[in-house]
Amino acid sequence: MKRLILLPLIAAALALSACGGSSSNGSGTSKAASGGTSGGHTTITLWEGYTEAEADSIKALAAEFNKSHPNITVNVQFYGNNDYALQKVLAAIAGGKPPDISYLYGSWAPNIATNPQVVTLNKLIAQDPSFDWNDFWPAGRKVATVNGKIIGIPALVDNLAVVYNKKLFKQAGLATPTPNWTWSDFENAALKLTNPAAKQFGWAYVNDASEDTVWRFWAMLWQAGGSILSPDGKHAAFDSAAGIKAATLLQTLAAKHAIYLDNGSDNYLSVFNGGHIGMLWTGPWDLSQIVQSKVDYGVTTLPGDVNHQTISGPDNWVMFNNGSAHTAAAWTFLKWLTSPAIDLKWATMTGDLPIRASVAKMDGYSKFTSKYPGIAIWAANLANATQARPQITVYPKISTAVGQAVQSVLLGKASPQQALSQAAQQVNGILAAPG
Amino acid sequence: MSAASHAPRAAVRERPSLARRLIRSDHLAGWAFVAPAVILIAVFALIPIGWSLLLSLQSTNLIAPAHYVGLANYRALTKDPAFRSAIGHTLVYTVLFVPISVGGALGIAVALNRKIRGIRFYRLAVFVPLVTSTVATGLIFLWLLDPTFGLVNYVLHLLGLPQQQFLQDPNQALYCIVAMTVWSWVGFDVIIYLAALQGIPQDLLEASEMDGASRWATFRSIVLPLLGPATLFIVVWSTINALQLFDEIYVSTRGGPLGSTTVIVYYLYQQAFQFFNGGYGAAIAYVLFVAILIVTLLQLWVGRRRVYYSS
Repeated sequence: MKRLILLPLIAAALALSACGGSSSNGSGTSKAASGGTSGGHTTITLWEGYTEAEADSIKALAAEFNKSHPNITVNVQFYGNNDYALQKVLAAIAGGKPPDISYLYGSWAPNIATNPQVVTLNKLIAQDPSFDWNDFWPAGRKVATVNGKIIGIPALVDNLAVVYNKKLFKQAGLATPTPNWTWSDFENAALKLTNPAAKQFGWAYVNDASEDTVWRFWAMLWQAGGSILSPDGKHAAFDSAAGIKAATLLQTLAAKHAIYLDNGSDNYLSVFNGGHIGMLWTGPWDLSQIVQSKVDYGVTTLPGDVNHQTISGPDNWVMFNNGSAHTAAAWTFLKWLTSPAIDLKWATMTGDLPIRASVAKMDGYSKFTSKYPGIAIWAANLANATQARPQITVYPKISTAVGQAVQSVLLGKASPQQALSQAAQQVNGILAAPG
Repeated sequence: MSAASHAPRAAVRERPSLARRLIRSDHLAGWAFVAPAVILIAVFALIPIGWSLLLSLQSTNLIAPAHYVGLANYRALTKDPAFRSAIGHTLVYTVLFVPISVGGALGIAVALNRKIRGIRFYRLAVFVPLVTSTVATGLIFLWLLDPTFGLVNYVLHLLGLPQQQFLQDPNQALYCIVAMTVWSWVGFDVIIYLAALQGIPQDLLEASEMDGASRWATFRSIVLPLLGPATLFIVVWSTINALQLFDEIYVSTRGGPLGSTTVIVYYLYQQAFQFFNGGYGAAIAYVLFVAILIVTLLQLWVGRRRVYYSS
């Protein structure tokens, strides 16, 4: 009978330990959050979702920092896939114990900025000229800034460039593209590289109507001299002549079956590596697999119309307020992590692009570029990433509307004019809606 | 923990007779046995269910403090054309998925319910898709149905039939999802049916054979009615699953192309986790919850009147 009474207690204990288990990766946080600053020593928690080389590198760098900074211990915690970071950080905020630093996607920045526990960094940056905020690539700075408030430090800055298959170019009798090639050069190459009988495509485009579809279109829109929204941010502006010109290029190439339409599962990479696609618009994240596939590849900037702009999808390190001692320690760590010397070390270890412009002038830079053939083009191409997507909370809705428009053009279901004016109408409605 | 373990003992001391009565009664023993499950379900299901009802009455991005808006989210749902088309896609899917998977499972189970060489292999083959992760299933079908490099189009080409766009055609994608999910879920229904088939008394089958009933007549008049409870369970279970379809969409079409596979739960996900409309997402969840409750009760009511329980 005693056993019977014990059962619910065991269950309660199980339930409690289950709760404890799910927040156990926050145990360091709770200790830290409740003021773990005994004797001038502070332990801070950093959440990240890195895998492979990046995962090893962040641990190695944190260990290096902890050694050289005896007063601070950085506790690196893996929170699983970066895609789920938002939900976990939200739960931690609701529970009152957010991490001191978290890796968060740049696209979340405008919404993250609405949380009162996010540390605004403007003052810290202004007080410390050695930090040199302007040395960060503009694309990264723009995504870390919401309505003038700096809510994060760039953790990653990548961009789109062209990767092309040299063998297919030769077979098609085409000269390899030069950095100042034009849209008509590009169109011509894509058509000549297309051969339906050999299941060969000139180009590939991610056609899942997600942001992956949309950001490629923004790059083309900017190249044609267009912009996403009106200068006051109140109306859609992508349905301009520039937008229609960009969508028409997509329409022409898709109608002639020159584009391999990827359904969002990144099959395009396997198809390119199998020698069936002439050109990709992609970033450094695909490089290691392309190298492994032994495709003879070249890298160059995107083709230009009015200009050769590209687009970047930066991510941020965001700090959460757990008291001034923690904020100071977290800031010390981020300053160190993003300093030029450590940034170059990180780039060399992982193949990520440097987040600071000055890194390219450092002594060890050639070691980085020779370790990853072609990476120098992407690194230099950051200078072409001069614009950013609008930093507003409703951007995901705008992206969805434009994604549908681009997809309907690619599938031949609507003309560029129709698709873009319909999307513009939707976007105007989204922008006009309150809150 | 220590405080908790003291509490019942104190109760024992204060009111011994009641405590003893409670301990002796079957009720307490019963509750004690189900307590672990009840507590876990309460903590991890009932509280979130209550919390999301609250959420559905708020305007919140899940990041900044929320504010109460009453039924505004529900009112907005009645005027949302995207929600209406998500309902349409979900209904089309359910109306196709449930009969095809249940009927298919019945046929396969009957075919597998006999002593033939390699029967274990066939049963395993039917069951394997069920234990394959949804991500793997999604990738397999994306490649199979790839318009250029897919095996299915290759076979169509060999047969001299026109090439299809499958998941990339807004008019075909939902039907491809039906095929994909039937393939991956039919194994579960087959297992249930196989168990039910093996529970059919052999003497009934022998009696009908001796009476000269044809195999079809035996199947219709004996096997099918005795499978009634299993069929009811499978239909209810498949319908609930179909109305909550999400994973397969998430790993394959992401609601596209052109929104043609945006079902209710995928729309909920979009609203809550892409557009940061937490309250609106919770309202969708509640509407779906009520709809499923009604459909299930209706099915059980019909089932109770039509299904034959042998006991």
